[in-house]
Amino acid sequence: MAEKKVTIKIDGRQYQVDAGISILKACRQVGIDIPTICYLDGVSEEAACSICVVEVKNAKTLMRSCVTSVSEGMEIATATDRVRKARRLNLELLLAGHPKDCFVCDRNQTCELRRIAYEMGIRDVRFPKATKFDMELDQTSPSLIRDPNKCILCRRCISVCANVQTVHAIDATQRGKLTRISTFMDKGLGNVECVNCGQCLMVCPTGAIIENNAISGVWQALADSRKYVVVETAPAVRAAIGEEFGMPAGSLVTGKMAAALRRLGFDKVFDTQFSADLTIMEEGFELIDRIKSKGALPLITSCSPGWIKFAEHFYPKVLEHISSCKSPQQMFGAVAKTYYAEKLGIDPRNMTVVSIMPCTAKKFEAVRSEMDSAFDYWKQKMHLKDEERFPDVDFVLTTREAARMIKETGINFVSLADERFDEPLGVSTGAAVIFGATGGVMEAALRTAYEVLTGKTLEKIDFETVRGLKGIKTAEIDIDGKKLKVAVASSLGNARVLLDEVQKGVSPYAFIEIMTCPGGCLGGGGQPIPTTDEIRQKRMDAIYQEDRNMPLRKSHENPAVTALYKEFMEKPLSEKSHHLLHTHYAPR
Amino acid sequence: MKNRLQQEGVSRNAIDAIIENYRGNAGSLLSILEEVQNLHPNKYLPAATLEYIAGAAGVPLSRVYSVVTFYAFFNLKPQGDHSIIVCRGTACHTRRSKNLLEYLKSILNLKEDESKEGEKMFLTTADNKFTLKTVACFGQCALAPVVEVDGVIHSHMTENKLKEIIEKVSRGGKKK
Repeated sequence: MAEKKVTIKIDGRQYQVDAGISILKACRQVGIDIPTICYLDGVSEEAACSICVVEVKNAKTLMRSCVTSVSEGMEIATATDRVRKARRLNLELLLAGHPKDCFVCDRNQTCELRRIAYEMGIRDVRFPKATKFDMELDQTSPSLIRDPNKCILCRRCISVCANVQTVHAIDATQRGKLTRISTFMDKGLGNVECVNCGQCLMVCPTGAIIENNAISGVWQALADSRKYVVVETAPAVRAAIGEEFGMPAGSLVTGKMAAALRRLGFDKVFDTQFSADLTIMEEGFELIDRIKSKGALPLITSCSPGWIKFAEHFYPKVLEHISSCKSPQQMFGAVAKTYYAEKLGIDPRNMTVVSIMPCTAKKFEAVRSEMDSAFDYWKQKMHLKDEERFPDVDFVLTTREAARMIKETGINFVSLADERFDEPLGVSTGAAVIFGATGGVMEAALRTAYEVLTGKTLEKIDFETVRGLKGIKTAEIDIDGKKLKVAVASSLGNARVLLDEVQKGVSPYAFIEIMTCPGGCLGGGGQPIPTTDEIRQKRMDAIYQEDRNMPLRKSHENPAVTALYKEFMEKPLSEKSHHLLHTHYAPR
Repeated sequence: MKNRLQQEGVSRNAIDAIIENYRGNAGSLLSILEEVQNLHPNKYLPAATLEYIAGAAGVPLSRVYSVVTFYAFFNLKPQGDHSIIVCRGTACHTRRSKNLLEYLKSILNLKEDESKEGEKMFLTTADNKFTLKTVACFGQCALAPVVEVDGVIHSHMTENKLKEIIEKVSRGGKKK
């Protein structure tokens, strides 16, 4: 276990540090925070920004601490006049190529460039702005917008897309002052393999990548008295949105969130957790069906739209393994505009469904052409014309956008008293809340599958082995003597490991859960910035806390879901459910 | 894919042979791209060709595009029968390569598109005979100013010498 150590001097003090680590890491270990922009621990070491330079005795030039390893006897100075001046110069050069439009920038509050400029005491940029900032925005994606004018070419986005997600949608193109981050043939994110996960946005230090904002459309719907506007909120939002209002990471704000949304003027405040429970019913029965009828196994979950597009691009042979279940967001929209609209006697054309998601890929999912089953349901009944076609989900807001709307109205989020979701589409169980964490869909499905398969009550409902931030988790579940092998992956790089096995026909698993983003939805591309592993863990703890707090913790015990089946959907995998709750995939 | 490749005027078998030749060599993308570009009658790399190379060589599309846009050598647009590349490096610049460039533009009747300011220069004559490009530096600074015509670097260029060379290659017909 004893790692090799080296003795080095940092700013005149002697330290023993692990051999081979970077100067940056060594300094951070001993409590010196060297400023960085392009560096991202474990993801990106591009050495592009030159902000982290330090002085090393006998070295000819200043060294980038992120990519220079420590060696025995090294003497490092981190805050000399020469170092400070060099850092400032490098930062000023970056700022000279960056527009000064902070007050209208999405990242105004979370911009790392702005923070670092402040911390380094930049008052004035000595270099004239040489560019006109007239480069065209990439607006081809329904999820993300890239603004090359704000890009400082740190390449974090390239690294996360390549190294964490293994999608490789973007890279540096051209050279010199023409360099920009772009896609193949500059086609734009919407026309290449980009899966819309938004992890690039999460690591962007500036406002060069932002979500395709849906706020104005939602305000318009809320202001329209003819519209019946319902909102659904994903599980991971309640464990994170508090951060947008200055609350510590891991604050569970379910009740405050419901109260705030009601004040924004939504006619009904519903919960995607209702349809998460519904997903478990459909997906759980699909799993049982496939096991009994010897269908394509492993069955792979379908909740995460980034993963679905990833499979369509990179794993066309695996598509038959993916559950035909729509994601909870889309099930909700389809149920709201059929069952609920019918129940209330509302014209579905006048119903607006807004979803609040920790996700940018959900924006893409909502505009997929097959996601309009409610229209097909009503088409014949109401003699609708094709031009009247409406989507199941009208607007998708990220956690950040929802927080912006709440801020705009001056609602004091932190001091709001807890309120409850509306019935019936706001009723849910603990099995649904854990959808927000990697392993949660798996655990929720196991809770239901066990009881349905065995007819017995599950004694220990916590499946600890599938919990936690680890990228790939496997477990063997004993269902009344029958062993069920399962696996869980979060991040697409980790998913590849399991998918390659499935593609080769050697996967030992019966059921696989895949989430696009590291940590699952709680670390999604629509979540508050920053999102680090420490913050992911806190959000995860909050989610499992909420699960423990819920009186009901198994999806098949959700009374509103039971009522839906009784009054409308008949039973899981019924013909109606196939039309409204299931979908299909096609290679891209 | 095969049809698209055919439309672009390259044979899939020829590309396959080139890629096979480099199979297992790390960092062979540059050589593959160079050889495939030379296969093409207009010495360029069209989109479907790039997509095919990416798939066959197992390199992400974005990386292939990154490489072909980084190096001045690669062309994404069809080239004229003859290529003229003016070096715009520092040494050549101080020896008036800008004037050579302007001279070439005037005798070949080429105009730069103002809206494309800041992009890589790539101008082809209306009769498709000449393509005029620039390069950041050929590394032949001692011979400045230099101009490359159909792959041959000519040193200590003057307007008169340029005129002669261009007349000569014009008479010689299309380069193989």
